Amino acid sequence: MLAASATTLPLFAALSACAGPNPLAGPPPLSAGVRSLLQAVTAEQNLIWIYKRTMVSYSALAPGLAALLAEHQAHLDQLRASIVEPPGKTVPATVTSKPAVPGTPAAAIAQLRAAEQSASTAQLRRLAGASPSLAQLYASIAASEATHVTALSALANGTPH
Amino acid sequence: MRTLLSATESTAAQTAAQTAAQTAAPPVQPVQALQAALAAEHAAVYGYGIVGALLTGTSQAAARADWEAHQEARDTLEAMIVKLGGTPVAASAAYQLPFTVDSAQSARRLAAALEDGVAQAYLGVVASTEATLRTFGALAMQPPANRAAAWSGATVAFPGMGDSRPP
Repeated sequence: MLAASATTLPLFAALSACAGPNPLAGPPPLSAGVRSLLQAVTAEQNLIWIYKRTMVSYSALAPGLAALLAEHQAHLDQLRASIVEPPGKTVPATVTSKPAVPGTPAAAIAQLRAAEQSASTAQLRRLAGASPSLAQLYASIAASEATHVTALSALANGTPH
Repeated sequence: MRTLLSATESTAAQTAAQTAAQTAAPPVQPVQALQAALAAEHAAVYGYGIVGALLTGTSQAAARADWEAHQEARDTLEAMIVKLGGTPVAASAAYQLPFTVDSAQSARRLAAALEDGVAQAYLGVVASTEATLRTFGALAMQPPANRAAAWSGATVAFPGMGDSRPP
């Protein structure tokens, strides 16, 4: 990687004076839309991590959570498929938030519910500036997460969804 | 007689909603998308009359509450369309049901289908490039998505995008 040292700066200055794209400038910065999409991918990965940890910690909850987890995996797949990746690069599968699983099943469900609500709200913030089709994907995922909030409330109350 | 869940009622909504995220769906005209949502709300108001007649007790009460929610949403859409200079589409006198509805079970299935149709129509509004309308459409599709899940007993990964539900 080239560093912007005193010896390289004149070279960059000379190149930047030329018209047209600079072949030494590296990949262009990510657009706001792509950054937003990558944030959505990370958010899904975080949610999936919480679901998996909760299901491991409280196996009795697993049957009720499996369908919701599968839907998050579908969200993740669709979001990742929406990213045009440069050759040789992949979208990082990084989980950025790993909260502890609460000490009771009820508290664990409450944590999931809060995470779903927060994720749904965040999707709505991504609408502005997105392409029409991507905005629809965000909106649909937000609606899905809203149904998860309701489903988790039913699970917490022991009522069939 | 119009089909209750007619594709012709929500052309803009369906065109946009059925498009995969990675393809370039064209933006829709606000009034056109709102008209499609209004048509779906009209259909829901009609359909819930049938749903409620086949249910009893708490299920019937839920159907009544949902019917009232759709009436309220219909009124909201009509006001929005008028404000944008359009003439709100009228409800049909009658609609053709998408399948035979003659039991509580089929009534629940119809309710879920009605809600899926409404969610799909609101997702069409999200394809608008106007920020306020986008947010309106995204928020407006959440109650029908929730009601569809309640009536069918299952959530779907992509509400409004034509996810199939088990019969």
